This record gives sequence, C-alpha cells and structure tokens, in this order.
Amino acid sequence: MNPLFMSLLLIVGLAIFSRTMVQKIQLLMALEPTDRANHITDRLKNMVVIALGQKRLVGRKKEWASGIMHAFIFWGFCILLIRSLNLYGEGFVKGFQLPLFGDGSILGYLYIALKDIMEGIVLVMAVYAIFRRAVLKPERLHNTWEAYFVLGMIGVLMLSDLLLDGARYNLIMLHNNPEHLHFFNNPLYGSEFLWTPVSVGAASLISGFSADANGLILTTMFWLHIITQLTFLNFLPFGKHFHVITALPNVFLKSLGYPHEKTKLLDLEDESVWEDESLGINHIHQLNWKQGLDLYTCTECGRCKEVCPTHTTDKPLNLHDFNDTLKAELLENAGNLIKRAKLAATIKEDGDAEKNEEIKAQMAELNSKKPLIGDVITEDTLWACTTCRACEQVCPVTIEHVPRIIAMRQGQSLMQGVYPQELNVALKGLERNGNPWGIGYDKRVDWADGLDVKIMAKDADVDYLLWVGCAGSFDDRSKKVSKSLVKILQKANISFAILGKEEKCTGDFARRVGNEMMYQMMAQENIETLNNYKVKKIIAACPHCLNTLKHEYPQMGGNYEVIHHTDFIDQLIKSGKITLNKSFQGSLTYHDPCYLGRYNSIYDQPRSILQALSKDGLKELDRHGRESFCCGAGGGRMWMEETIGKRINVERSEEIAGQKAATVAVACPFCLTMIEDGMKELDKDEDIKTQDIAELVANNMA
Amino acid sequence: MKILTTAKKVVDVELTIHVENGAIVEDGLQYVINAWDENAVEASVQLKENNGAETTLVSIGSGDNTDMIRKCYAMGIDNGIHIDDPALEKADSFVFAKVLQKVYEAGEYDLVITGKQAQDTDSGQTGIILAECLGIACVSNVIAIEIIDDGKIKVSRLGDMGTEIVEVVLPAVITVSDSINEPRLPAMRGIMMAKKKKIQVMDLAGLGTSYDEVGGGSLKSEVIEFMESEKRQGGQKFEGDAAEITAKVVDLLVNEAKVF
Ligand code: SF4
Ligand code: SF4
Repeated sequence: MNPLFMSLLLIVGLAIFSRTMVQKIQLLMALEPTDRANHITDRLKNMVVIALGQKRLVGRKKEWASGIMHAFIFWGFCILLIRSLNLYGEGFVKGFQLPLFGDGSILGYLYIALKDIMEGIVLVMAVYAIFRRAVLKPERLHNTWEAYFVLGMIGVLMLSDLLLDGARYNLIMLHNNPEHLHFFNNPLYGSEFLWTPVSVGAASLISGFSADANGLILTTMFWLHIITQLTFLNFLPFGKHFHVITALPNVFLKSLGYPHEKTKLLDLEDESVWEDESLGINHIHQLNWKQGLDLYTCTECGRCKEVCPTHTTDKPLNLHDFNDTLKAELLENAGNLIKRAKLAATIKEDGDAEKNEEIKAQMAELNSKKPLIGDVITEDTLWACTTCRACEQVCPVTIEHVPRIIAMRQGQSLMQGVYPQELNVALKGLERNGNPWGIGYDKRVDWADGLDVKIMAKDADVDYLLWVGCAGSFDDRSKKVSKSLVKILQKANISFAILGKEEKCTGDFARRVGNEMMYQMMAQENIETLNNYKVKKIIAACPHCLNTLKHEYPQMGGNYEVIHHTDFIDQLIKSGKITLNKSFQGSLTYHDPCYLGRYNSIYDQPRSILQALSKDGLKELDRHGRESFCCGAGGGRMWMEETIGKRINVERSEEIAGQKAATVAVACPFCLTMIEDGMKELDKDEDIKTQDIAELVANNMA
Repeated sequence: MKILTTAKKVVDVELTIHVENGAIVEDGLQYVINAWDENAVEASVQLKENNGAETTLVSIGSGDNTDMIRKCYAMGIDNGIHIDDPALEKADSFVFAKVLQKVYEAGEYDLVITGKQAQDTDSGQTGIILAECLGIACVSNVIAIEIIDDGKIKVSRLGDMGTEIVEVVLPAVITVSDSINEPRLPAMRGIMMAKKKKIQVMDLAGLGTSYDEVGGGSLKSEVIEFMESEKRQGGQKFEGDAAEITAKVVDLLVNEAKVF
C-alpha cells in the first residue's frame, strides 16, 4: 500500500517494543537463578494442554462462560497472526500473499474461512467481555480502565479487518473492481468471498457508499488495523495484558514433577549466608527469575483469591494484591536491581576479599529501601496462607504462590526472627521431643500398647514401615485412627513395623513456616533412622508426612516408596486382602485434604473405598476434588492462632453441614481435628460425625 | 549495668523418669535448660534491650553445656561462663551458691537473676543462699522487674497475700517466677552466629577456688536414694442416662470419696 509508511510504522513500533522487552528481560536476568532448561517434551506438553488448550479456563464448570470467552479470544488471536503477516506484506506489495496461502490454494481458502469466522466470534466475545465486566461484575474481577481499553482495541482490530475485507468485497463485486483487488490471484475475482460470510456481512453495512468511499474505507481500515496492532503490542508489557506475551513461556517454564517449585534445600552450614542474611526472600532481588516472570504474567483475573480459604474468610491475604504489590516493587527497583546484578557479577570467589566486601557494600546500597515484609507485604498477609494450593490449582497461567510465600517466611524465621510467637511452643516441642505437642518422646508409642505392633528396633525384617506421625501418636482422637489402621493391616496380614520412639516429626510444619533449620534437623535424624533400617516402603497415615517423606526427603538422601493409607487400603480391597461389608448407613461425604489431593493427586482412591463401604453412596461437597476447600490447618496454621476474620474450619464445616451429611470422611489428622472442632463450634458434632477413612474401613470390614 | 544470670541444665520433665535400685535410669533421658532459668534469661535480655545492660550467663555442671549456652547467646546474652568440674557431681544448693558467689565476685555485677527453682530438684534455694553469702538483698518469686536507676530497681513478686511491689537497692539477687515472661525461641540466625562466640569454660581451680572451699568437703545435704513416683490411677468413666449418672456420682463423692 505504502511501503514507506509501512516501514516507518514497523521500525518505530518494533523498536519501541524491542527496547521494552530488553528491559523486561534484563530485569529477569538480574534475579536469582532457577533451572528450567530441561524435560523439553513435558514442557511442550504443558504448553499445548494448559496454554494453547486453555485447560484451566474451559475446564472449570463453574466458569465455563468466561472460560470459553477467553479461549475463543485467545484462539482467535493465534489464528489471526497469519492474517497479520499477510497484511504487513500487503503494506509493501500490492496483492501480497503468504506462500502456501495464496494462489487459490485450498489452504488459503480454508484459512480465510477460519479467520473470517474467528473474527466474528472474537468480536462477539469482546462485546460479551465488556458486558460481563460492566454489568455482571463478577466479584473476583478488578475493573480497570486498562481492561476496557484492551477490549476496545480487540474490538477495533476485528472490526477494522472485517470492514477492510468488506470494502474489498464491495469494490470487487459492486464497483467493477477499479483497483484490481483480490484475495488470491484468482481468475474468478470474488469467488473467495463465498468463504467469508462475516466479511460479506460487514460489506453490506457499507454497501451504500460509493466506490471512492469504499476505497477510502479500505485504506483507512488497513492503517487503523496496523496502527492499532502495533499500539496493542507496545501497550501489552505495561500492564496485566503482558500475559498475552508471557503466558506461553510461563507455562512452558512451570515446575515439573511436583506441583510447584520445591523448597530449596538451604545450605545452613555456610557461614556467609548467615552473615549476608541471604536466606529466603527478604528483598525483592531474592526472587528467582521465574518468580519474576510469574509476576509479569499475572492476569489479575482473581481466580486465586476467589478460591483462597483466607480471602474467603476475610483475612488480609489477597493474592491479586499480593502479586500486584510485588510487581510494583519489582518494577520500581528495576534500574537498581540490574545495576546490582552487574556488580554481583564482578565478585570473584578467589578475588581480593577487601574488594569483594566493597562491592557487596555497593550492592547493599542498591537494595530496595522498603522492607519487603512489613512494608510491601504485611505480616498478617504472609502468615495467613495455609499452603493449600487452591490458588495454584486454578491459576490459568500456572503461577506458583506457595514457594514464594515459604521463601518469604524463611527470610522472616531464619534471618529476622520475626514470626507468630505462638509457634514457639510447637517449635520447642519439635526440638526437644520431636513433636509439636512437646510431649515426651518416650510416650510416642503408648498408643500401640497391647496391639502387638512390631517395633523396628526389635524386628526390622518387615515389608512396610508404618509411619504413624505425631498426631497419630500423641493426639487422643488421631490415636484411634492409628489403631484402626493397625487393625486393617493386621487383618490383611501385612508385614509391617513402626519406628516407635525413634520416629520424629517429619518437619513438614517447620518447613512451611520457614524454619528450615528445624526441618533439616528433623529430616536428618529421620533419614538416618530410616536408612539405618534399610526401609524401602512406607505407609504414611498423614498426607503431610506422605508429602514430606515422598517429595522432600530425597533432597537429603532419603529415598523411599511412600504410599498414603487410603491408597494402600484401596489396593488391599482391590486385591481382595480385605473385604468390606457394604454396611455403612447414612449420608456420607468426603473432605479432600489439600496435601493428599492437590499435592499428591490422590482423589479417586478415597472415593472408591467409600463407595465400597457405603450403602447410600457418596455425596460430593460443593467444593471437592481439585477445588476442595482447606480445613485451615496446613502450612503450620495448625499451630498459630486464627484471630482475623471467620475461622476457616468453621466455613468448611458449615459447607459440610449444608450438605446434610451425617458423616464426613477425612484422610488427614489435621482435617480431622479442624472439622471436628468446626462442628463443635456449630454445635453439630452430635449430628455430623467426622471420621478418618481408616476408621470407617475398620468398622465395616467383613 | 552488669547482669549475671544463671542457667542449669536439667532433665526434660516431659519424659517419664524411671528409677532402678535407688538411682535414676539415665538411658533415654535428655537434658534441657531449666524452664525458670529460661525466664531469667529472657528477663535479663529484656532489661538489656529496654535499658541497656551487659548480660552474662553462668552455668554450673559437668558435661557439655555448649549448646545450651549458645542458645542463650541467640536469645541475646552477651557472655557465657561454664563452670565444668566433675567434682561438682554431688553438689547441693549450698555448694552451687558458693560457686556462684565466686563467679559474682570475679565479675562485679549489679544484679543477679536466677530462676526461682530448678525443674529437677525443685528446692528453690540457690538464689537465696547466694544473696545470703553475698550479704545483699534477695527478692524471690518475681513477676516483673523495672529499673529505676543505676542503684535501684522496682520488682513485683507473688506473695502470700497477692502481688507485692518492692523497691530494692542494688546489688541484689532476684529469683523469677515463670509468669514473668514468655521466653523467646533462640533466633536461628543468632544460633548460627553464636557458633563463633567464645564460651569461658573453667573448672573450680580456674575460678580460683576448690571443691573444699565451696563446701564440697562437708556437704550440708545429700541425696541418698530416688524413688519412682506413683503412677496416676485412671479415673472412672460413667455412661448412660444423665440423671442416673448424676445420682451415682453424687453418691460416690459423698460416701466413698467423702468430699462433703
Ligand atoms: S495469580 Fe493466576 S489466578 Fe491469580 S490473578 Fe494472577 S493469573 Fe489470575
Ligand atoms: S495456598 Fe491456599 S491459603 Fe495460601 S494463598 Fe493459595 S489459596 Fe490462599
């Protein structure tokens, strides 16, 4: 059309865009390292399913309408990329066609048909999106001018392209094609429009205008489209719509093998980390680059806060703001962080110590002046999280909140010594007696009195180690679960033993509250004991123990095959080692523990056991499975006071009571305590019984 | 102001203690800082934080007390002394007080803060005897300390009739109750940094004295034998109709337990 103008637009547009992107990438490179250059096929798979397939958008029943809306806008954009390239070509060469798509090729026809319909759909979706924001106003959404502006631009992009083709159609079909226009070098000018009903529809809107006017519309729409597109591109990196660019790489680079980045095994023996106060996250530069990319990518959709048990019970943790404030802090310090990283690169391990100290001092000068916790993120916010992962499970762009929260807690616990002081009792109990209740370790095995359970120290020649856990050993209610489990294992003739007094807390809660030192102390002692007995297979009666033993102990040389008791019982039933009477009566429901479901993907086994024993089947809670609602005890919250807002366990108990369940089955000692307490608070504990699956099985075995 | 605080390593009372042939079975036992001394450490650290003071911790006893002293460093104590002498194995409160007197005299302290008793022996005498030996004031069972000036403090103590507020001229010995504060957990960073900090370890000779001089030659009291404490009997459980149970319980209370 106008090669000169086109070149000018492209040069300016792309130059500004490149400059922005270089700055953004430089900032990421200034952050801490994390290795994501591995398992490329798995990563591609994630990208295809989660990002391209829009799994978490279209896959949630609750949100199907907005999910479909977004998915179509996204797919539409992907499809229109080819069209855009073609348009840029047309800017330079009249009648430009991309190879393979022109010259009357069938691919070309198919493509214009697809593009045409998609433009129509995207336009409708953009209108729906505006309507949804302005009229329906879903609570999770933050209504900003940015959102409307971008939706407006999307509308303009679609309309301009449709009108462009519409004008082209009118000129060819109604005005004898004065400019010899065509889609393809097709001898039958105009036949291609049989494939583009939406453009023809657009054409009818302007068919009343003269040939000149249509020609003017064509040119105007062309440049409007190109200019809007370049503006759109340059606008994206400055707000939440950066996700248009970063979402694909963010999903590609997500953690693999475990639902989120595993807590780093900190080297606590290294004196310099204590002197430099470099453990955990206390400053914005201590985020790793992937966490920075997460911040770039947050779409501010609010799905995370909508499912977060703390936000829904009026606690100050609002992940949407959490991301937002962190991102603002990151960007505000961008210049200094980049300088800081350049300085860091000049420190040489074997270099002059004095010089290094000098550089470190200069680097410290460049640190953000605001304390990250206390000023940017409040303490109440940081400590509210139960690490339930509900937020991560729904995030369409796979942002990982929990590792960041744990690292910040590490900074507070290890470096600053600032944390909820109620934790002291539990931490002291851990240190002295290996359990958060602080009960003498010599009483750990009292629950098994008279049960004829083998102790490893006396006989280690067994197939399985039963990991009882602190609750199962010391908490009166949970001891009953341990006894039931023993009854089941004995009935199935399983050869097993327990560690008895030698078992210690796995350290799960210590790690979740950021006390890596206490965690490592527990882990080290347990791993020594386990390895000493050459333990290979472990049955864990607590999802937190399961998670730690299975996923975290390998970091310290403890490699075991760990199975949760519900999984194991399910296998026993399926292999006929135990038989259940379908004798359980009354309405039964199941509460998924976060560390069993969202952390370890065990959803079906507990359900299949319950189906096998219940006469009346199993009634699902509103929030179940992947979107189960936390009991409030995870992440060390079990040992902290809950003084702000409504109690999480009460919220969950109300939901269960609302289902008119007579029994709620659980599979975690903390859930058991929390829900039972919640029922007591609602004065429903007489009507609704909370029972571990092991108890239900033990009571309904043939 | 210079504050001297004491810390005794005692058996963890969460554990069940077994006795065989009149002696405590050591196997399986573990040792921790005496809880009341932990309160004393916290109290000194708070005084240091609020008023400025140099805090010194002294621990007497044979064996390795390094860990315990380091944790006190991590709580905020400045200096640590460990009097490690096997001769002190059988020492009683009087001997401990005499040793503390030596430590006190070597350091010229303004205030001594100790736990009001130790969880292992529960005798509650050492602090008081120390004050007596030094001829200075002593206030026991203290629940609050306030510094008035370099020469005077105001303390609250739990007495028979309620809380007493006492003004004390320094130097003085204060023994604290566990309700004086909620001891902090040693800071993790502090524990690591404390690894480099020196602990003064010395035996009685190093302290410039001898076992005889601190009264070891003629112990005023001696433990002859330990006896296992009686196990608590399980309670009685009643189930059934509320009215019937009430009647039964009242009957048992009146006729068997004779509480009325
Ligand atoms: S973190 Fe994820 S779920 Fe939460 S607002 Fe951002 S994009 Fe949405
Ligand atoms: S892990 Fe759970 S509690 Fe923590 S922020 Fe996410 S949803 Fe909220």
